[in-house]
Amino acid sequence: MALAGNPNAGKTTLFNQLTGARQHVGNYPGITVDHKEGFFHHKNQKITLTDLPGTYSMTAYSAEELVTRDYLVNERPQVVINIVDASNLERNLYLTCQLLELGVPLVIALNMMDVAKDRGIEIKAEVLEKLLQVPVVPIIARSGFGREELLDACIRLTTKEQQWNPRDISYGEDLDTTLTSLVAKIEETALLRDCYPARYTAIKYLENDEQILEKGQQADPDTARILEEIVAGTSAHTQKTFDVYPEALIADHRYGYIKSILRQGVITHTFDTDRLYTSDKIDKVLTNRLVGPAIMLLILFGVYQFTFSWSELPVIWLENVFGWLGNQVDNRLPDGLLKSMIISGVIDGVGGVLGFVPLIMFMFFSIAILEDSGYLARVAFMMDRVFRIFGLHGSSVMPFIVSGGIAGGCAVPGVMATRTLRSPKERMATLLTVPFMNCGAKLPVLALLIGAFFSDNKARYMFLFTMLAWVVALVAAKILRSTVLRGAPTPFVMELPPYRFPTLRGLLIHTWERTYQYIKKAGTVILGISILLWALMTFPGLPDGKTAFFEQQREALMATATTAVAAEIQATDGELSEQAAILSQQIAQINNAENEARLQNSIAGKFGSSLEPLTRLAGFEWRTNIALIGGFAAKEVIVSTLGTAYSMGETNDGESESLGKRLKNDNAWNRVVAVAALVFIMFYAPCFVTVVCIAKESSWKWAFFSITFNTVFAFIMAVVIYQVGMFFNLG
Amino acid sequence: MLRKRGKNNGCCFADKVRNCLSRGRCKGLIGPLSERATTGRVKVCKVTGDRKICARMASMGLYPGVEADVICSETGQRCLLKVNGGTISLDADVSDNILVTSL
Repeated sequence: MALAGNPNAGKTTLFNQLTGARQHVGNYPGITVDHKEGFFHHKNQKITLTDLPGTYSMTAYSAEELVTRDYLVNERPQVVINIVDASNLERNLYLTCQLLELGVPLVIALNMMDVAKDRGIEIKAEVLEKLLQVPVVPIIARSGFGREELLDACIRLTTKEQQWNPRDISYGEDLDTTLTSLVAKIEETALLRDCYPARYTAIKYLENDEQILEKGQQADPDTARILEEIVAGTSAHTQKTFDVYPEALIADHRYGYIKSILRQGVITHTFDTDRLYTSDKIDKVLTNRLVGPAIMLLILFGVYQFTFSWSELPVIWLENVFGWLGNQVDNRLPDGLLKSMIISGVIDGVGGVLGFVPLIMFMFFSIAILEDSGYLARVAFMMDRVFRIFGLHGSSVMPFIVSGGIAGGCAVPGVMATRTLRSPKERMATLLTVPFMNCGAKLPVLALLIGAFFSDNKARYMFLFTMLAWVVALVAAKILRSTVLRGAPTPFVMELPPYRFPTLRGLLIHTWERTYQYIKKAGTVILGISILLWALMTFPGLPDGKTAFFEQQREALMATATTAVAAEIQATDGELSEQAAILSQQIAQINNAENEARLQNSIAGKFGSSLEPLTRLAGFEWRTNIALIGGFAAKEVIVSTLGTAYSMGETNDGESESLGKRLKNDNAWNRVVAVAALVFIMFYAPCFVTVVCIAKESSWKWAFFSITFNTVFAFIMAVVIYQVGMFFNLG
Repeated sequence: MLRKRGKNNGCCFADKVRNCLSRGRCKGLIGPLSERATTGRVKVCKVTGDRKICARMASMGLYPGVEADVICSETGQRCLLKVNGGTISLDADVSDNILVTSL
C-alpha cells in the first residue's frame, strides 16, 4: 500500500499511526522528500506501507511529484490511500482527480474531520463515496479514529480485481476533441502503454509534462513528434481564444468537476466559512512587516539563549566524563604511543565530538518547536526578501543563526539544519557558507588575539568580527550562486501550515531521531580522522640523539638541586618551596622546548615548515601553520597548539593571557598579522566534524570543495590584509 | 514573461493616495496582487507568467475565479493569501503575475 496526499494533510502522522514507525512529521511543507516504508499486521495480513512525498498534483513540476508518480507507475501498489484534508477538501481533491485519471486502486482517507467540524464544515463521506465511486473513510490521524475502518476498506479493495481503472474527466469541447485524436494515436502505436493509460499520457502531453514528453521522444520519436504537433495546434488555439495554455483549462475543468461533486450534498457549511481563523489572526501580527521581524528576532534570540545557555551544564558534565576517562587511562596505562593515541586520538577526538551532543539536542529541540508549531515557515517567509539578494532562500536564516550568527553557535548543527531547504542549489550555497559564522570554538581564538593586540576595544572588535562573518558569508554565497552554483532563484511559493501546539512526545521523538543521526554519522568517520590527525602531529617523533639531549638537560638541572628539593618535585602534589618552584619551571621550559622540537619534527610540523614560504605572504610562520593545521581537528586546538609551538606548553583560559603576551612580544607577530590570522581562522577550512557532516549531507566532492574554497578564499583575504597593512605600516 | 510593474491599472491619483492610507482599493479594477496595499478579500482574475508556475498555482488552489483573503500585504513585495482554508505565501515575482480585483 502507498500513502499519497497534499503536504500537511497528515500523511506522515497516519503512517506513524499505522506502522508505529518513528519518523519525522513536520509542519514544514513536504518534509519527507523520499518515500519511506513501514510494516504492520492487520487481521493476520502483513502490510507494507510506503509514505510518499507530499504533492499538490501529479505533473512533473517538482521532484516530489516525480517521485510519487514514478513510484505509483513502477511499483504498482495494490492500494493507494489518498489522505485528504477535510478542512480544505476542494484543493485536496485536485490530486485525487489525477489519481483517478491514472486509475490507481484508491481509498480516500478523509482526515482532520474534527478540524473541519470546528470550522463549520460538515462532510457526508457516504455521498462522496457514491459520487467518486471509491471507498471514503473519515479518520482523525492524530487520535487514531477510523484506523480500523480504513484498513478494512483497503483489505476489501485488495481482494477485488487488480486491473487499474482510469477515470475520464471532460475538459471541454476543444480539449476533448484533441484528447480523442491523441488517444487514438497513442493506442495505435502503444506509446508508453506499459506505464500509463492512453488518456493519461494524452492529458500529460497537453499539460506540457516534461518527463512524459521526454519519455515519448525516447520511446517513439515519430509518434511523439505527431503528438507534439497536435498539442502545439491546440495550444495556439487556446491561447488565441482564451489567452491561456491548455494546462490552465485542464485545471479549470478539474476544479469544475470537483465543485460539481461537492455541490451534490457532499459538503455543507454550518456557519460562515469566509471568516479568518485564529491562525490567520496570529499571522496578521507575526508576519506584519514592522512588528513581524522584531518578534522574529526576539524568538531567534530566545532559541539561541535556550540552546547555548541550557546546554552549558550538560556539556560540562560530558567534558568531565571524558576528562575522568582520560585520567583513568593516564593513571593505568604505561607511558608510550598506545597511551598517547588513546588519550589524544580516541578520547580527545571522539570526546570532542560527543561533547557537542547536548548542544545539538537542545538545538534540534528548539527547531522542532519552531517547525512543529508552524513558525519556521513564517521565518522563512519574512527572511526571504533579504536572503534573496544574496542568492539564498528565506529558510537559510536558521542554519546561519545556529552556526554562530550570534557569535557562539556551532557549524555542525548548522549544516544539519540546512535540511529544511528544498532547492538543491540554495541549500548547497547555505551549507557551504554557514561554516563562515563565528562558532563557539572560534571564540577562544578570537578572545586570545583580540585580547592581546586590541585590548582597549575588545567588545567593539568582537562585534566587528561577528558582523564581518555575516558579510563574508553572504558575499561568499552570492559568489557561489553566481559561479559554481549558478541558477535562477526558486520562486518563493509555499503553503504555510496553520499554527499548532506541538506535542511533547512529537518534539522528543524528532529531537532524538536527529541527534541519534548525528551520533551515528559523526561517531564513525570522526574516530578515524581523529587518530590520523594525532598521528600526523606525533610521528616520526624526535631522533634518539635529540631526546637524549633534552634528557641530559633535565638530569643536569636535577643534579644541581638538593635532595629535599628533588624529592619535593618528584612528589608532584603539595605546595612547592621557592627553590623547587624555580627548578620546576626550568624543567617545564625544557619539556616545552622538547614538545616544540617534537612538533616541528612531526609530519604536520614539516608540512607547516614547508608551507612557510607561501604563508609568509600572509605573515604566518611555521609555528602558526602547525596551529592552523591542528585547527582543522577543532578550532579550539589552535590555542593549545599555539601554546605548544610557542613553548608555552598546555594552555587553558587562565593562561591564555600569558600566551597572548608572548605572541605580542614575538617578532613574528604584530597587529596586522593578528588581523590576518583572525580573518584566516574565521574563514578557512571548517573543522573536520563539520566537513564530515557536509559530506554526509551532500557528498565528499562538496566537502573537499568546502575545504579548498574556504581555505583559498581565507588565504587571499589574509594576504590582502597583511600586504596592505604592512604597506601602510599599520603593524 | 513577467509582467512589468508600475502600470496605472485605471487607478487615479486620489485612489492611489487612498490606497496608501488603506482607505480605498480602486474597487472593481483589475491589478497585480503585488500592487495591493491593503488586506481583504479579492477575486483572482488571471494568473500569468511562467507556465510551470501557473500550473503550480492552480494545483495549490489559486486559479482564475477563485476568491481569496489577503492576510499580509507588502506593496511590491511578498504577500500571504488565504485560499480555500490554506495559507499560501508568494514572493514579489509570483504575486506580480496574479491579477486580482477587490470584492
